[in-house]
Amino acid sequence: MAEMWISMGPQHPMTHGLWTLKVKIDGETVVDTEPDLGYIHRGVEKICEARDFTQITPYADRLCYASANTWSHAYIYAAEDLLEVEVPERAEYIRMVAVELQRIASHLMWLGAYCPDVGNLTGMVWCLREREMMMDLLQELGGSRMHYNFPRIGGVKRDLPIGFALRCRAKLKLFLDRIQEYEAILDESTIFLVRTQGVGYAKAEEMINHGVSGPNVRAAGHNYDVRWAHPYSIYDELDWEPSVERPSIKGSDCYDRYRVRVEEMRQSALMVLDGLDKMPGGADTHYQSGDPAILGKAPARAAEGQTGFHHFEDSRGESMFYLAGGGDERGKHPYRVSIRSPMFITIPYASKCMIGYKIADIPAIMGSFDPCIGETDR
Amino acid sequence: MGNEVNAKQILSAAEEIVSDVADFGDAVNAEVRYHTSGRRKNAYVYIEVTASQWRELALWLKKSKKVDYCSMITGIHWPENADATWQVVAHLLRTGVTNPAVVNKRVHETKVDIEGISGNEVPLEFEISMTIPETREPSVPSVADIWVGADWNEKETWDLVGIDFDGHVGMRRVLLPHDSPTGYHPLQKQHKLRYHDFNEMYDDAQGFGRKPEDSGRVK
Repeated sequence: MAEMWISMGPQHPMTHGLWTLKVKIDGETVVDTEPDLGYIHRGVEKICEARDFTQITPYADRLCYASANTWSHAYIYAAEDLLEVEVPERAEYIRMVAVELQRIASHLMWLGAYCPDVGNLTGMVWCLREREMMMDLLQELGGSRMHYNFPRIGGVKRDLPIGFALRCRAKLKLFLDRIQEYEAILDESTIFLVRTQGVGYAKAEEMINHGVSGPNVRAAGHNYDVRWAHPYSIYDELDWEPSVERPSIKGSDCYDRYRVRVEEMRQSALMVLDGLDKMPGGADTHYQSGDPAILGKAPARAAEGQTGFHHFEDSRGESMFYLAGGGDERGKHPYRVSIRSPMFITIPYASKCMIGYKIADIPAIMGSFDPCIGETDR
Repeated sequence: MGNEVNAKQILSAAEEIVSDVADFGDAVNAEVRYHTSGRRKNAYVYIEVTASQWRELALWLKKSKKVDYCSMITGIHWPENADATWQVVAHLLRTGVTNPAVVNKRVHETKVDIEGISGNEVPLEFEISMTIPETREPSVPSVADIWVGADWNEKETWDLVGIDFDGHVGMRRVLLPHDSPTGYHPLQKQHKLRYHDFNEMYDDAQGFGRKPEDSGRVK
């Protein structure tokens, strides 16, 4: 049969955003693929060159609507490197709580979007129900529902609200029970198993060479995680274990990538519960905003020649901000902001990963890598 | 878990790289630097290299030092600096990721013994910087065949900053529209943001010509 190119996207349920996957098919088989990105390129890096360092945080938030806190924290750590700020220990704990709650919310959003991709609509409503609990908690912390602008250079915007620890513990305990329900409906759903097992094989070393990281690599059987390999924050003081999946000989399939994210949600919930217990000053104390216990002093300018970067474990892989100081002649703005988006690198790999499978497998494979176009296009 | 790579392991791994880089001679300068990371300072390897030596260094890092992951390659335009108008910055990571071992046809997931790792197994961060003097067609050698992850980073750097990569196959626009004018690379500094030259809140059309009271004073 003759080969032909078809376009999936920019409007297609598979894409989870606005991009095009050009697929070369021979009958039902995928022969070649070529991703086409940039539909929602906003030029965040250029915009940031005319913003001072505190004004960039909301832009970082808006890189990914499903995972705002991880992106703003990735920026904040890089900015703190640039401006050489030390953070109070309590602020690091509060940040960890915010980031890990966001990681759970992001993975729930992923699972909620992935279940209908592979024919399980119940999963979607269940996941969005639990995500709502996380959104409520994050709203208490940051004040808004999706884009929190929560971290500050040198600390956090405000302390844990009074009663937050109580509600957070209760919700996370309920959530830990409900994870078992997801596992029950998905692991016993024939259509879910048939569509995810044995498709989209990817090997760990190959993924690392292609620049893919995070849960996708841990699904392939190696526990590499930025949180212990290039340590930051206070993760060493918490009781957790990177979630790692045992793949098959051919590599990790879509099912492994689902398993590893479910386990990671559980680990994040345990991390938050443990962090609330170990928080210096106690999780029930409430400091005023701007108190030195939660906000360190930070300079507002960075001279030319100063640079800052930070590798961060985003919910989709390793993200990074690289900042060069000295913009605006007086150093009030960054001279250059460069953003490393894990999905920008992962989408080309995932597209190559589906060669040899059927057209019907494309949504299952693409969805299992957790694409997010907001951060991809920046 | 309470386990993570400790500062001593990172520092000794970084020092090892720096002493071994000395074999390259004057073309490559390496030093151990620290970056602030919340409450701690992490050591990383900073290397300055000439563009012509970049590929050789990259191959050496990949083969002898097991640097297996290209995090980011990006470019900066410094129009006022004639000796180094263009800068390319690469961030690499050594992750130590291996395929899980297969014993008796059964796969066993890898759990790294974090306290016991040393030498080439210690995860490490690298920052590599190279500069190109004033030229209309800046370019550095491509490393996309060494780390496939560099491929789309290089495409993006060419697309947005205009630095080309010799030997890169299939260079094309990735974030800008495919029909963008030739030679248009928005992160070059001659392309001013609307806000660069005036006070954005007051001087634009939407501000109805209002001026702040302290207008003109250096803030």
